[in-house]
Amino acid sequence: MAKINLDSILEGRRSQPHMLVEVLLDLQDQEGYLPEEALKTVSKELGVPLIDVYRVAHFYKAFSLKPRGKNVITICTGTACHVRGSDLLVNQVRGQLGIEPGETTPDGQITVECVNCVGACALGPIVIHNDVYCKNMTPGTLRRKLDKAAGKKKEAKDA
Amino acid sequence: MPRVSNARDLEIIRSQSDGKRSRSRLELIIPNGTCCQASGSAALIDSVRAELARQGLQQDVSVRVTGCLGFCEQEPMILVEPGNILYCRVTAKDAAEIVSRTVQRGEIIDTLLFLDPASGKRIEREADIPFYKAQTRQLIHMNRFVDPFSIEDYIAAGGYRAIAKALEEFTPSAIIAEVKAAGLRGRGGAGFPTGRKWEEAHEAPGDEKYVICNADEGDPGAYMDRCVLEANPHEVLEGMMIGAYAVGASKGYIYVRREYPLAVKHCRIAIRQAREYGLLGENILGSNFSFDVEVARGGGAFVCGESTALMTSIEGKVGEPRAKDVHTVKEGLWGRPTVLNNVETWANVPSIILNGSRWFASRGTEKSKGTKILALTGRVKNTGLVEVAMGTTIRQIVYDIGGGPKNGNRIKAVQTGGPSGGCLPERLFDLPVDFDALWEAGSMMGSGGMVVMDDKTCMVDVARYFLKFLLDESCGKCVPCREGIDRMLEIVTDIAEGRGRPEQLDTLQDLAETVAEASLCGLGKSAPNPVLSTLRYFMDEYKAHVLEKKCPAAVCKALVTYAIDAGKCTGCGVCLKVCPHDSITGEKKKPHVIDTALCQRCGICIGECKFDAITVR
Amino acid sequence: MLQYVNVTIDGAPVRAEKGTSVLDTAIHYGICIPHLCHIPGIHDMGACRLCIVEHVRNGRSKVTASCTLLVEEGMVIRTNTDRILKMRKNIAELLVARAPNSKAIQDIAVRCGVTEVRYPFRNENCVLCGRCVRICKERAQANALGFIGRGKERHVDHPPGKLMDYCKNCNGCILFCPMSVTPCGGPMKKGEERLCGKCDSQLTADARKMPGVCVWCELGKGFQCSRYLAV
Repeated sequence: MAKINLDSILEGRRSQPHMLVEVLLDLQDQEGYLPEEALKTVSKELGVPLIDVYRVAHFYKAFSLKPRGKNVITICTGTACHVRGSDLLVNQVRGQLGIEPGETTPDGQITVECVNCVGACALGPIVIHNDVYCKNMTPGTLRRKLDKAAGKKKEAKDA
Repeated sequence: MPRVSNARDLEIIRSQSDGKRSRSRLELIIPNGTCCQASGSAALIDSVRAELARQGLQQDVSVRVTGCLGFCEQEPMILVEPGNILYCRVTAKDAAEIVSRTVQRGEIIDTLLFLDPASGKRIEREADIPFYKAQTRQLIHMNRFVDPFSIEDYIAAGGYRAIAKALEEFTPSAIIAEVKAAGLRGRGGAGFPTGRKWEEAHEAPGDEKYVICNADEGDPGAYMDRCVLEANPHEVLEGMMIGAYAVGASKGYIYVRREYPLAVKHCRIAIRQAREYGLLGENILGSNFSFDVEVARGGGAFVCGESTALMTSIEGKVGEPRAKDVHTVKEGLWGRPTVLNNVETWANVPSIILNGSRWFASRGTEKSKGTKILALTGRVKNTGLVEVAMGTTIRQIVYDIGGGPKNGNRIKAVQTGGPSGGCLPERLFDLPVDFDALWEAGSMMGSGGMVVMDDKTCMVDVARYFLKFLLDESCGKCVPCREGIDRMLEIVTDIAEGRGRPEQLDTLQDLAETVAEASLCGLGKSAPNPVLSTLRYFMDEYKAHVLEKKCPAAVCKALVTYAIDAGKCTGCGVCLKVCPHDSITGEKKKPHVIDTALCQRCGICIGECKFDAITVR
Repeated sequence: MLQYVNVTIDGAPVRAEKGTSVLDTAIHYGICIPHLCHIPGIHDMGACRLCIVEHVRNGRSKVTASCTLLVEEGMVIRTNTDRILKMRKNIAELLVARAPNSKAIQDIAVRCGVTEVRYPFRNENCVLCGRCVRICKERAQANALGFIGRGKERHVDHPPGKLMDYCKNCNGCILFCPMSVTPCGGPMKKGEERLCGKCDSQLTADARKMPGVCVWCELGKGFQCSRYLAV
């Protein structure tokens, strides 16, 4: 495994325990998850007990301690989206991919997550596919999106 | 880079950019907030720019990319000024036509105008659209004048004049008196008088004090803070500067949810620009007031909207609330006096200083002054951000601005205040938007989410939804909140799944009251509101679930059955293909049948059926 | 120099050192407020909420935990109003429903007046009182334990890897755990899911010799508490 470069993230933040959340957010953005080794380094460099690093990593939803899939599908389950049927989207994922929200398909292609509101409530239900916001989703449009995300893998294999 | 060292410099920048503006004949305002981008505004902007360049009109016409204008449902849109012509649901393909017809020849493209669902007519001017007409827009109205990437735009629109005035003409105590006289109350939910908060922090001993902007807008269904911060970050900064000057703080934080990447970006840019202009830093505008702001990102925890949890989160720790017997205005961030206000509250401050407290207090009710931005969503025709004067009734908002129910359903409730608020039934729709009136009715203003529910919404399901949300978002520190919400959810789930017993309703009420009083923080204390308010106003629905084992709205899965209407089914086979549980059978071109034993009531087939043939009872 | 303030607890005027909590003051004067997560000398977190009291100010009373409430001059506290007793009972019920086989929790529940539990029992072996976590952090300074996760997922755990990398073998977490005595098999028997209320104070073998000793004070500090003798 390639060594994770933490220097740019830790730059100017060493020995400053209050930067913990910011450092972990940057690490999450850089790596897509929080690797164990990196957490130990962060603990040492910032001077925060390891247990507190783990507590923060488990407490905030933004962090994931396992690698995520290539496609991250985030379903908004805020009130407005719920009233407009975001439950059906979660059901679609369960039925189609056989995984629960928060899990990754065994082939590592798709991770499905739920989020409590992304603040685009008038356009619900909202699904975010790798940072792209998609509005007014239905189980049907989500099915095609998931098919496409999983299908990319097939083409790659063929090629 | 112009450095602003006094109020005159601001005037110079203002007149310069006014000069620049008067050179262009026409202005195209294209909103590009998060919601607009979800509708494809980025592509629209690109193609409009390309089209203007192709037709050689860049000099003539200026394009201003702004934050959201509020009418999110009709996005992407283009506002043409002068003329106030609003084109709705514009796609990138329409760019060529808009440029050649509207820009070149001044024609109005009829098909892109807003189609009023009530009258069935096209409306030309933005101001004539009922959605906008019934509002009182003070904060959101600024959005159209400001490109959030441009501090010049903000200065040109009169920005940073308030801080200049404050530093020149006001003592800190005079500012506090002005804000108090204005009657400004915290827009984040509880409605605490802002002036009193500032006063306490001002009087608290200590050299180091902080101001914080709470942009951890976790309430699902509310997004006005995102909108304000994305569209007009400088206004929030200016408000914070005035607040910092009043309480004697030299450092501020903007705590933004990570789920709002655009807001984070715009804040950072705004802070950088303000520093470059000398509007943040040492000796601002030639005074001896020094102040700087930093952005702290939230990691995705609803509880961090609570003041003490938010502060521990800025300190880099787990966002668990602590007991608030000593107020944060005395012992807040790092144990120092801290003023925490919500985005909308800060954004209201500059105009109070500029126009005076009397101007601000002229709108609103006796105890709730000014305007409030509400996020009108759910089952109404027009959804989006709505800014109304306090005292406007819920009915006006739902029917006049929101346009009433969708698909001819009957509206039965609005949910206000997010998970901390409650559901208000239709018969209380004459209640005004007012902190105290809503509180007395068992709900609260919260941050201003307003989700409309009709007879297709099950109130037991709504209570269950919020309990699930809160159980997930509770920090789990104290027993009443962690165990209490869990048990309430257990009971409500029993009820929703047809196992409910009548005595459980009493247990639910009893438990909810305990959780409301004994919990540690605001999250726990307000967590039972959705349950208590639905029990109070929609007992009949609970009883239908418990006694008759029926869900009147046909939402609760365990209490409904799916069937296919043989008269409507064409036998196209779509439902058969999409059903993940293989519960649908049938031959091509003949009515299909659902095997109720296999059906998981996931509802996927309903969304796929083009003929409305699937019924739920 | 020590500063003292005058406080009224349940009508009794008492003098307390500035900076102490209402709970400590009450205990000092022999007024027992039931509590679980409080350990003398360790930072209070206000998690269990059993020690809630009414804090009367300007004619209005506010419910708050007494362990995190510091004494102030002229403070008026009520520890056993009907409102408080009812809420405390509900909280104890929630606790015992979570861990019905802990004798200590049973004891608290019975003493708070819980006779019947309205929720299905869960057989958890932790009530998340945080006693172990704070002992580990503050007394042993080992930082080997902490709360991980939030909401329903919250649990006590050590950082990944070997616990022994951090643990100083002080045994504090076990000593201070309300679950570490031999569990009671009673309430979890099928069909008999109820509290019999017949147990003696179980935490110390000496409890029988000292009638009326509140288990939780005994565990922490030990004093003659008279409030719950009647139960």
